[in-house]
Amino acid sequence: MDPYNTDEDCVNKCNLNGSPVLDRMSNDLNHTKNIDDIATPSELNFDQEFDYEEPEITEKKKEIEQCLKNPDIVNVDKWQSFARSKAGLISDEYRKVIWPLLVGVTLEELTDPPSLDELSTHPEYNQVVLDVNRSLKRFPPGIPYEQRVALQDQLTVLILRVIIKYPHLKYYQGYHDVAITLLLVCGDRASFPLLCRLSYGPTAPLAPFMQLTMQPTQHLLNYMLPVVRRADDRLAECLDKSGVGTMFALPWYLTWFGHSLNRYSDVVRLYDYFLCAPPLFPVYVTAAIVLHRAPQVFSCDADMAMMHCLLSRLPDDLPFEDILVVAQKLYEENDPTDLEPEVAALERREEEQRKLEEERMRRRRAGRVVPRAPLSSRLARYLPAPLRRAAPRRTILAITAALLAVYVYYRPDIFRMHPNEDK
Amino acid sequence: MSHSTSESVPGLKQKKVFKIIVLGDSGVGKTCLTFRFCEGQFLDKSEATIGVDFRERTVKIRNEDIKLQLWDTAGQERFRKSMVQHYYRNVHAVMIVYDVTKPETFHSIASWMQEIESHGLMSAPRVLVGNKCDCGTPESRLATTYAQRLADKYGMPLFETSALLDSECDNVESIFMTLAHKLYSKQPLRVISIEGELGPRCVTLTRQKRPARNDTCLCS
Repeated sequence: MDPYNTDEDCVNKCNLNGSPVLDRMSNDLNHTKNIDDIATPSELNFDQEFDYEEPEITEKKKEIEQCLKNPDIVNVDKWQSFARSKAGLISDEYRKVIWPLLVGVTLEELTDPPSLDELSTHPEYNQVVLDVNRSLKRFPPGIPYEQRVALQDQLTVLILRVIIKYPHLKYYQGYHDVAITLLLVCGDRASFPLLCRLSYGPTAPLAPFMQLTMQPTQHLLNYMLPVVRRADDRLAECLDKSGVGTMFALPWYLTWFGHSLNRYSDVVRLYDYFLCAPPLFPVYVTAAIVLHRAPQVFSCDADMAMMHCLLSRLPDDLPFEDILVVAQKLYEENDPTDLEPEVAALERREEEQRKLEEERMRRRRAGRVVPRAPLSSRLARYLPAPLRRAAPRRTILAITAALLAVYVYYRPDIFRMHPNEDK
Repeated sequence: MSHSTSESVPGLKQKKVFKIIVLGDSGVGKTCLTFRFCEGQFLDKSEATIGVDFRERTVKIRNEDIKLQLWDTAGQERFRKSMVQHYYRNVHAVMIVYDVTKPETFHSIASWMQEIESHGLMSAPRVLVGNKCDCGTPESRLATTYAQRLADKYGMPLFETSALLDSECDNVESIFMTLAHKLYSKQPLRVISIEGELGPRCVTLTRQKRPARNDTCLCS
């Protein structure tokens, strides 16, 4: 099953001299062409979609170019405000220089990569190569075969270099999607320190994904539902009822949407923002997307499969500028620390369900009848949603008992069999 | 292997939805197989599956519409432990895939079987699929007799196929239909009879290695 042979057909169609490389910008961060003499990644042409340029974008471009003339005297806050505001860093020419600056990569960190042969003994080598070879969709359409293979080798080297430098970090499927985005924009020398910054350190956004298990990732994804709930309780209830969980958003979070979006321009726009946002921010973007798609969610069957199917496929026309604004607002209004109790309650509930499931499995294997849910969870169904979330099992029982007592107090007649007979 | 209670196929009567989980090592072709079955073509630029993907197709069995839900899982082990667990819930049937050109993917079948067992699915219909039989030389491919021995040991039918070849399209179809019929009837399955029942969309099982004896492991 070799899908490569189709690529030769595309060689003639490709266009490599497309994007206008600004000569004055080829500063120190621009790496020289490597031994394969392939074009620098920024010369690769992804389809530019807008012929018309809004005046404010033209203005922003001028301002960015002004700053790039003398990058040493520009504060990182300035780069961040460019990256966050509308249209982000606009062009890959700018991104190539500014992305490393956003995460504080210094010139000394730019080193030549080792050869692929030196790294091929690494235990993760096969898995990485397997995933890299299947990353065809991420390359510009019509890229020449030789060039793509050379870039794929660079990608494998880039990933292996990071996990060799930090052996406790584990490669995950999806890491290659982040790495390739950095590689296509920044080239192989700058993308290594950049990827290191994103992978290693207490606040490194990719670090939780690279732990021994996916438990930390799962935990962080659990922030999504409480964020949605605070914005739209009915929507959260709808998601909850379907049992869809968070799996539909897993590739979004693990790859910063690189795996799931068809348009390259959307991916790099999001990366502009994520490179200077808090590590949990992509989860808020996930919540914003779900909120944006609320009408579709409401009209979908409350069925896990249908809901997963609907949400996991991202439409091509998502208004990301608006979504980022909403996500930023959600973040400001619902700080992760505020959400912790809600996430903890959600995880407690999941844990209980899991135990129940295990118990059912055990009984099924032993050939006995499937047990019903415990009394407290059955009662909990009749409580209003906010109360249910907050209430542990004992509280539910206590509240139920109290309500019953009040009811009996006011209607003692129900305990008298035939009140009229006494007369 | 007793499985004839209605319990093993929950939801069968009400919804007519069969949930099949597709398992196997990374890169064996799980995504391409499910895509071939649901879309009728080869997935050209397939990517690594992150987490769980979902595809479905409605098939007709004895004039009845049956929805087959295929849950295509990530092959990398780290996704198995905590993330994919959730998707084993209410699974009706299991497909395990290996790559006939990569013996290591065949050797991990044992650990996939353990996984299935831990989810109480040993009595659910299961099939073993050796994919990529178009690749490599006959010598470099895992011998069918060897694979058959393991399939017999676990009591599941073995299929060898290729998601790539259009000529194998019918065979891929028959693999999923085997599971569908097994789920539908919960009777000892006579694979030959599928042909007559499906009419124009018949399933040919010519490439199946042991059509006659397979019945012994298909039935409970």
